[in-house]
Amino acid sequence: MSSVRPSGRFRSRRGARRAGAALLAVTALAACSSTGPATTDRTGIIIGRAMDVNSLDISRSLCDTCQIYNSAVYETLVRATPDGELDPLLAESWEANEDSTQFTFTLDPDAVFSDGSPVEAKDVAWSWLRLQNLQGLPSYFMQGITGVEAPDERTVVVTSAAPNSAFLNIASASYMGIVNSDVAAENGATADADAASSDSAEQWFQANSAGSGQYVLDSYAEGSQIVLNANDAYWGEEPNFSSVTIKEVTDASAQLQQLQQGDIDLAMQISFDALDQIESDDSLTSDVVPSYNFLYLALSPGVAGGEALQDVRVRNAIRMGIDYDSVIDATLAGNGERQSTGIPNGFEGSDDLPIPDFDPDGAKALLAEAGYPDGLTLDATYPTFSAYGVSSNTEMQSIQQSLAQAGITLNLSPVDFSTWGDAIGTTGYPVTAIYFAPDHPDTIQYFQYFSLIDGSVWAGRARMPVNPEENTLVAQALAQSGDERTATYAQLGQLMYDDAIILPIVNPKYILASSASLQGNNYDITRNLDLTRLSFAD
Amino acid sequence: MLRFTLRRLALMPLLLWGIVTIAFFLSRSVSSNPLVTIVGERNLGNPDVVAAATRRWGLDKSLPEQYWVYLSNLLHGDLGTSFRTKSPVLDDLGTRLPATLELAFFALLIAVVLGTVGGVVAARTQGRAADGVLRVAALAGSSLPVFWVGLVFLFVFYATLGIAPSPGRLSARVIPPPDVTGFYTVDSLLAGDWPLFVDAFKHLVMPAFIMSLALLGTVIRLVRSQMLEEQGADYVRTARAKGMSRGQVLNKHVLKNAITPVVTLIGVSVGLLIMGAVLIETIFSWNGIGTYAVESSRGLDFPAITGVCLVGGVIFLVGNLLTDIAYATIDPRVRLS
Repeated sequence: MSSVRPSGRFRSRRGARRAGAALLAVTALAACSSTGPATTDRTGIIIGRAMDVNSLDISRSLCDTCQIYNSAVYETLVRATPDGELDPLLAESWEANEDSTQFTFTLDPDAVFSDGSPVEAKDVAWSWLRLQNLQGLPSYFMQGITGVEAPDERTVVVTSAAPNSAFLNIASASYMGIVNSDVAAENGATADADAASSDSAEQWFQANSAGSGQYVLDSYAEGSQIVLNANDAYWGEEPNFSSVTIKEVTDASAQLQQLQQGDIDLAMQISFDALDQIESDDSLTSDVVPSYNFLYLALSPGVAGGEALQDVRVRNAIRMGIDYDSVIDATLAGNGERQSTGIPNGFEGSDDLPIPDFDPDGAKALLAEAGYPDGLTLDATYPTFSAYGVSSNTEMQSIQQSLAQAGITLNLSPVDFSTWGDAIGTTGYPVTAIYFAPDHPDTIQYFQYFSLIDGSVWAGRARMPVNPEENTLVAQALAQSGDERTATYAQLGQLMYDDAIILPIVNPKYILASSASLQGNNYDITRNLDLTRLSFAD
Repeated sequence: MLRFTLRRLALMPLLLWGIVTIAFFLSRSVSSNPLVTIVGERNLGNPDVVAAATRRWGLDKSLPEQYWVYLSNLLHGDLGTSFRTKSPVLDDLGTRLPATLELAFFALLIAVVLGTVGGVVAARTQGRAADGVLRVAALAGSSLPVFWVGLVFLFVFYATLGIAPSPGRLSARVIPPPDVTGFYTVDSLLAGDWPLFVDAFKHLVMPAFIMSLALLGTVIRLVRSQMLEEQGADYVRTARAKGMSRGQVLNKHVLKNAITPVVTLIGVSVGLLIMGAVLIETIFSWNGIGTYAVESSRGLDFPAITGVCLVGGVIFLVGNLLTDIAYATIDPRVRLS
């Protein structure tokens, strides 16, 4: 009857001891092991950033990380230099006809793709037509282009329906990179007119690349990392890194920790409150530079609830009622600049535009003049986001506080981005807030998006009538070049300022933070981060 | 038991169909628009781009048509293509799920082993200092928010002391093992790469421990209370009267009876651990199904949301079935019917 069975107990205890010993041994060995696992070459760089990749198919991609990837793996015909000039890349020369309706590029005969095949004019024509016909996110770069032809292997001729002197700048955007058409077509890509429905190559592009850039795609794990390897067949200057890993590190403080511990070499979204820690660490280096990104308030007089905004004096009163310095202090610890209108500081035509000032008394006077002596109440609905170091909630709460001093009550409604997007094109919001970053170095992109011209995104959203003068000036600017065009851009900028539809709040500065062993960290308009300028110090 | 198991397995497709149907219609009933994340803010006003995207992702079809297409594809093993990652949802889940399963498995192992040992020690030292310490630790484990503990541990052991590895499944610059099971610890051993196993194991310890904390605290308290309750039972007095030592009675009989409710707890917790891994995964850069679920929800990625719900359903159903079987195996008094 006894349940005591010594031999069984003995076996059980011995088994338990063995299992325990094995577990302890594994843990101890793991803890004490001094031999490291196989690693990639130390000449590889690891970049930490919150990735926003929507696609690695260059003709479907549109995101900040995509700019880095596209420019590392693909190459454009021309490249924008930091001072806004254009340098040759795949094209050794180019010219525009007199009225900027035709552009002729001559390709560099040495340029080859990563499989060793030459970059030919047919690849350029195919890449740009695919970009246009896919009707994907970056297809607007080809807006107004009526033809891309390859009369011979090295000559590309682009035709535009109307004068488009901005096209050369647009051609420097990373999304205009050239794909090896033979390889892509073998994997389901097409540039045909029905590409939007017949192209099936996106999945292939998520795991493969077919470009002529310094790097080739090794692997992409969504939500984890993109790994690029040096292109052994690269035709130009040798890449500075054997590999480039863009690692998903979503949080700014995690980026700081990993940078301090040497687990990443470069952090792209460090917040300004961590700047002191970086500056006091000898193993790290940092610099604060201007950016071309900006956050803005958008007023829509034509939507329900925005009736008061139909009077431009009310819109100007809002602009005067914002305490920009306080908002910049609250959101970026003072590391931002005020901006005139929807053209970032430093872009062609922005130099002499008026910078808004906080003037609550002036705002009150304007409101009284417009028939609101007792103030005004407006609803502001905006998406919750954190962009370029700015939290939309902090930004809007700070704006709300300063507008209260001018007698304007702003009722805030933060919403999910999808909800915001669903309404912004239909019912619209009288007041909202969002952000913008440039794709290429030409100012025209801001007029096409923000001004009151035919087809402008914000003219539609604000339900404002087209301003014929702005329409004429945009067409005029696209037929001009040099100082003449700069003057027209400035004139358009002033008109956009006078419209008071787009009220920029802050043009944030940007922290370049990296390991001290890295040199050449940069912020680039078309590439976001130009890998060709980065290298490890000797 | 065989009839019970077969009947439960036969019912599973019906339950999963219910889960898929609810997930399908619920996700599409929200007032937001997935096109915002598909075409981006800049293209919302571009009718050509919006129309192309609507056609491409089948959003131009009526809801019943979309549902029919989804179910038809599902029967052929196709869970659709993610709006966000542009990959088949099945591939995404196949990549993400092993990472979460590996983490959850180690968390469960830690919770069961340490929890049982802790509970036994607490019961055997009832009223003494060790009992007090374990009870406070158990309470803390169950009540402290995981994200807070995770951030504190990372700050102390990784950022400050530098003794814990970086967030992620492997160290920076380390090349992952050839993919066999998706468990880096297992795959590294299969590849015979001991240093790689060590690296993967080290990266697992801290997130798995933090993930286990809530369950660990519950297991300690459950085992302790069950042990104390069982100690007063008649069979214990009988065994002691027959000459067995206190330790023998506790280890041989009391522990076996006390641990039965833990099996139920584990069964329920497996699903919760896996589907609730998002906080740990976010803090420790663990590219698992938790972060996939959250990102998919934020982007209204309908195929991915439904796919995650389907996987979650399978995990819960299989977990519950295994629990019932284990329960009946451990306690012969339980009859499955």
